[in-house]
Amino acid sequence: MGKPTGFMESGRTPPERRAANERIYDYNEYYHRWSDIDAKEQGSRCMDCAVPFCHMGCPLGNVIPEFNHHVYKGEWEKALKVLLSTNNFPEFTGRICPAPCEASCVLSINSDPVTIEYIEKEISDRGFEQGWIKPEPPATRTGKKVAVVGSGPSGLAAAQQLNRAGHKVTVLERADYIGGLLMLGIPDFKLDKTVVKRRVALMEQEGIQFQTGVNVGVNFSVDELLSNYDAICLTGGSTEARDLPVPGRDLDGVHFAMEYLPQQNRRLQGVDPDPTDAITAEGKRVVILGGGDTGADCLGTAHRQGAEIVHQYELLPEPPVERPDNNPWPQWPSILRSSGAHEEGGLRDYNILTKSFSGTDGKLEKLHGVRVEWALDDTGRFQMAEVSGSEFEIDADLVLLAMGFVHPEHGGMLDQLGLELDDRGNVKVDKNKMTTVPKVFAGGDMVRGQSLVVWAIAEGREVARNIDKYLVGDSELARTFPG
Amino acid sequence: MLISGHDGGTGASPESSIKYAGLPWELGVAETQQVLVANDLRGRIVVQTDGQLKTGRDVAIATMLGAEEFGMATAALIVNGCIMLRKCHLNTCSVGIATQDPELRKQFAGKPEYVVNYFMFVAEELREIMADLGFRTVAEMVGRVDLLDTRSAVDHWKAKGIDLSRLLCVAPRSDEVATHNCMVQDHGLALALDHELISQSNSAITDKEIVNINLPIQNSNRTVGAMLSGTIAKKYGESGLPENTININFSGSAGQSFGAFLAKGINISLEGDANDYMAKGMGGGKIAIRPPQGSNFVAEDNIIIGNVALYGATDGKAFIRGKAGERFCVRNSGAAAVVEGVGDHGCEYMTGGTVVVLGNTGRNFGAGMSGGIAYVYDPDNDFSNRFNPGLADLEPLKEDNDIESLKTLIKEHQDSTDSEPARKILNNWDKSIESFKKVMPRDYRRVLEAQRSNTDNNTEVEKHG
Repeated sequence: MGKPTGFMESGRTPPERRAANERIYDYNEYYHRWSDIDAKEQGSRCMDCAVPFCHMGCPLGNVIPEFNHHVYKGEWEKALKVLLSTNNFPEFTGRICPAPCEASCVLSINSDPVTIEYIEKEISDRGFEQGWIKPEPPATRTGKKVAVVGSGPSGLAAAQQLNRAGHKVTVLERADYIGGLLMLGIPDFKLDKTVVKRRVALMEQEGIQFQTGVNVGVNFSVDELLSNYDAICLTGGSTEARDLPVPGRDLDGVHFAMEYLPQQNRRLQGVDPDPTDAITAEGKRVVILGGGDTGADCLGTAHRQGAEIVHQYELLPEPPVERPDNNPWPQWPSILRSSGAHEEGGLRDYNILTKSFSGTDGKLEKLHGVRVEWALDDTGRFQMAEVSGSEFEIDADLVLLAMGFVHPEHGGMLDQLGLELDDRGNVKVDKNKMTTVPKVFAGGDMVRGQSLVVWAIAEGREVARNIDKYLVGDSELARTFPG
Repeated sequence: MLISGHDGGTGASPESSIKYAGLPWELGVAETQQVLVANDLRGRIVVQTDGQLKTGRDVAIATMLGAEEFGMATAALIVNGCIMLRKCHLNTCSVGIATQDPELRKQFAGKPEYVVNYFMFVAEELREIMADLGFRTVAEMVGRVDLLDTRSAVDHWKAKGIDLSRLLCVAPRSDEVATHNCMVQDHGLALALDHELISQSNSAITDKEIVNINLPIQNSNRTVGAMLSGTIAKKYGESGLPENTININFSGSAGQSFGAFLAKGINISLEGDANDYMAKGMGGGKIAIRPPQGSNFVAEDNIIIGNVALYGATDGKAFIRGKAGERFCVRNSGAAAVVEGVGDHGCEYMTGGTVVVLGNTGRNFGAGMSGGIAYVYDPDNDFSNRFNPGLADLEPLKEDNDIESLKTLIKEHQDSTDSEPARKILNNWDKSIESFKKVMPRDYRRVLEAQRSNTDNNTEVEKHG
């Protein structure tokens, strides 16, 4: 299978990107497509390992060597079939996954890993172009009704799986768009919204019903939810953002990333925010607090809006460029990651703690910070200490808080349903993904805490399988998690 | 005795063998121990086992079931960076272990210390278990099935309906019966025929005088000629003695490994037959075997030597008046042999030397043959059905030097063994040539051609130089 010498003959070459100074003037995706020959060559680099660690790296357990082989042979439709056997939405993961599969690729022990994620994108793009990805409505219906609450990647995956098992699925979404963070969080330049809408349209054709503006616990009672459906699937995400309760937090100009990013996504859909609430980085000095993916999304968006200068501060130390000895393959590498947004500009700085914000007339003018040092304490834990004399201030018109999400929103629906939470404030489920309330299941970030789209899809598939088992006694849906 | 379990094996083996061949070593070791103890034979041999032994616990269990030596390979490779690509046979091992590719070998990240470290851990864990059980030595521990804690394994749901009591029982024995190896094996070397050969060859070995020896032989005389060859090699190294210095005539039925590692200068003629492994590793001597004078069977229709003759031979000549068994000349790298028929897998993995077959062959001839040349007499023109074309081609005999060297060998065969088929072929030589097929490994031809063109170039340089 595959080409035994492929990895010796060809290097890793992802598709080319549009130049940074060109792409910051629009919100379009910036990856070009491979030629046929380039794609095959990249597929040929897969070694078809007898013990393929990429399977283990991928939360979905994608059968990666097999689709690489088909790509190398030019058998795109077969490759798609293999890919879709484990992954409901390769068009999403092919664009925005940090690719844990590549981190655990055997080739990456001493070389560059196979371009698995780009191969995945190419397979799914071709699948849509060729019309191979079609609605797959179930042959028979079970007569059971399931409500999926929350339409992020986890909810969509659960809905598609449950629908394929023959259940009548209704997706309830409180926002004005279906897709959760795919639609309103992730910027267009990383994931074009036509890609999300195309998938939702397909799912509608499969017989799934989508309802927007339905906020369970607010304008739709939990009693109605429980009485109308045979099972409930909660996939509401981890939406409670981590706040920064320091003096000046309430100044105008200090916002959560998730107040800022959805506005731009809506603008691109032709829906402008109310001018009094509008947040834009245009002409502003921007400071982003948080060095993760959300921070990078804010960075790219701020540049596109025409920010004057953008700083990105991280509390933790700068990670190493290469894997340290205590973080060996095939573990997920804790190393410095630069996304497309970092190529486009911005100043990254580390070991910075924000002490306060200041301004006049309620308007933000300055951020006051201090440098910190991290050291191991007696118990072997990293402890932070402020460096005396390192206090500084920086002019800022807009501060975006991108410091992660702590857990799902408490109160409201969770409270009214009477669900128990775990120690971290996430929804508690048993090994069958059922919450402490019968017939109510939960999955995705709502259960595991903030995570990746690929984990959300995996969770959605797994919760769907468990609901199917609950409804009909057994499930023919594929297992995603081991065990 | 090695009990090799089904779990182990090279990453180069076919998937069918990896997954579907063999049995667990636990079954083999347990049965071996019980049978050997029941027959009071256990004290005489060392029992070794392998097959994915990885930890001190594995070693402890193997010991208690009845083994005292242990083979470990996978884990030792893993500690040196093996990631089980199972491509050991493709030369593309990406971590530089099972490859000859210089670029890939640069990726090798292992160190001997890692292996040492690994085995220290295994030994340490074994020590801990031994201490728990109160054993001071491995020998005390061999066969102590009674001390294995078996309940949790047997209670597993997968073990339902399986009765392991026969596997886990201690062989009944009286106190004087040994349960582990405690006797040194007497190989009977003092009785070896070679002592006689060496004493009769004394003047040849010291002064290179020509000696002639006539002796009977029987099948309990094994590896005849090896000690004599060793004595010669000690004194003269690989170059040995001048041709035909020591001439030995045997009559009878030779035991296994007749003429093994035979050195240059020894010339053996046997009237009778020989067992398996004849001329194994032969390094330059000459052997001729033919049936006793007056035999009433047709020699070329009957097998006269056993299997795996000339295995790994590096030099020398063999003339066999009759058929050989299977795997004739496997891994031969330099010897020349003439035989009147061979069994299956002839010339497998051969890398050098010349083989002439004047009769029928078995199937799979020339499999994995990367060097050397075989000439097969094929008057019925059906040899291609039994030939493995993986690495070699069949071609007719055309070149004069080919024909000449073949003729010389057949002539020598006739002179040494009085061969009837050889006589017939030589009597009708011009016609016979047409019935010969030449087995030519493709890579070997490429190397020969490259050498030839190098020589031509060198000649040119000298001319102009």
